[in-house]
Amino acid sequence: MIFREVEDLDLIAKARRGDVEAYNLLVSRWEKRVFNYLLRLVSNREDALDLSQEVFLKAYRNLPKLDDPARFAGWLFRIAHNEAFSLLRRKRPEGELGPELHTAGAAGSLLPMELSLAVESALKRLNGDQREVVLLKVYQGFKFDEISEILECPVSTVKSRLYTALDLLKATLAPVVLRGES
Amino acid sequence: MNCESYDWKAYALGELDRPARTEAESHAATCANCRNELATLRLTLDTLSTLREEEMPRRIAFVSDKVFEPRWWQRVFSPNFAAACVIAGAILVHAFARPGINDAEVQAQIKAQIDVAVNKAVAEQTESIVARDNARYSQVYKIATGLERQ
Repeated sequence: MIFREVEDLDLIAKARRGDVEAYNLLVSRWEKRVFNYLLRLVSNREDALDLSQEVFLKAYRNLPKLDDPARFAGWLFRIAHNEAFSLLRRKRPEGELGPELHTAGAAGSLLPMELSLAVESALKRLNGDQREVVLLKVYQGFKFDEISEILECPVSTVKSRLYTALDLLKATLAPVVLRGES
Repeated sequence: MNCESYDWKAYALGELDRPARTEAESHAATCANCRNELATLRLTLDTLSTLREEEMPRRIAFVSDKVFEPRWWQRVFSPNFAAACVIAGAILVHAFARPGINDAEVQAQIKAQIDVAVNKAVAEQTESIVARDNARYSQVYKIATGLERQ
């Protein structure tokens, strides 16, 4: 992991000097994570792919503005977060990002296994804020303070959203898990 | 400390520092309720981790995108170009700044050095051959003298 971080820093430095190949390599390392994060937020593969493209384009253009290259991951997900919510706002001008926004898409065809379906379904029952902190913490492995920077909200808010989400997920998934064990 | 003072969600999510983790683990060892709470949380997180990561429908590529090509000045003023400039400058400075040298004088010096080296080598070789021949003559003389006596 350390080596990976060092290499990312090297690639970022090269990309900042206009090395497209270095940036391409950086993209290939992060695109799947960004795509999956966006996919869970917008629940549409084409939208998620278009947004991913836009995220990496913006990231490239703004690389010189990145103060600390070691914080590249959080910075990249901050761009992804902004892009996703910009799209959701355009689709829903009144500004309410209710959970029904995230139930679109053929989840069944994406997730063949019963457990995965149950998780997908449980995640969709969360509201947008709760789901996003779960995605950033559980699936992307960011620390509380990093999530706080990505979402531009206090750590206490991050914890509050995440803890509520975990309680809801625990209640939703427990019957599924117990059924699987019986 | 009572059970409410332990943040098991932070523990399960890896957000506690080592002293806090150790303290929480010591408490869990003696508290069945907290052990159950932690086990349920871990089960939930394990279940969440079964969500399959989706493959991308297609890769994101920028190689052919003009937007991502470096500007002309970025190409020209690359590190390699800068290094080449420094080396070329150093060569030019050296060429103009070094003291003048007479080529004929240098050649004469080199020729003299070569002559000295060749003469020395020839002298050593001659000396070696003479010594060897003398030894052989001496041996032949001894054999011939012995034959005559017989």
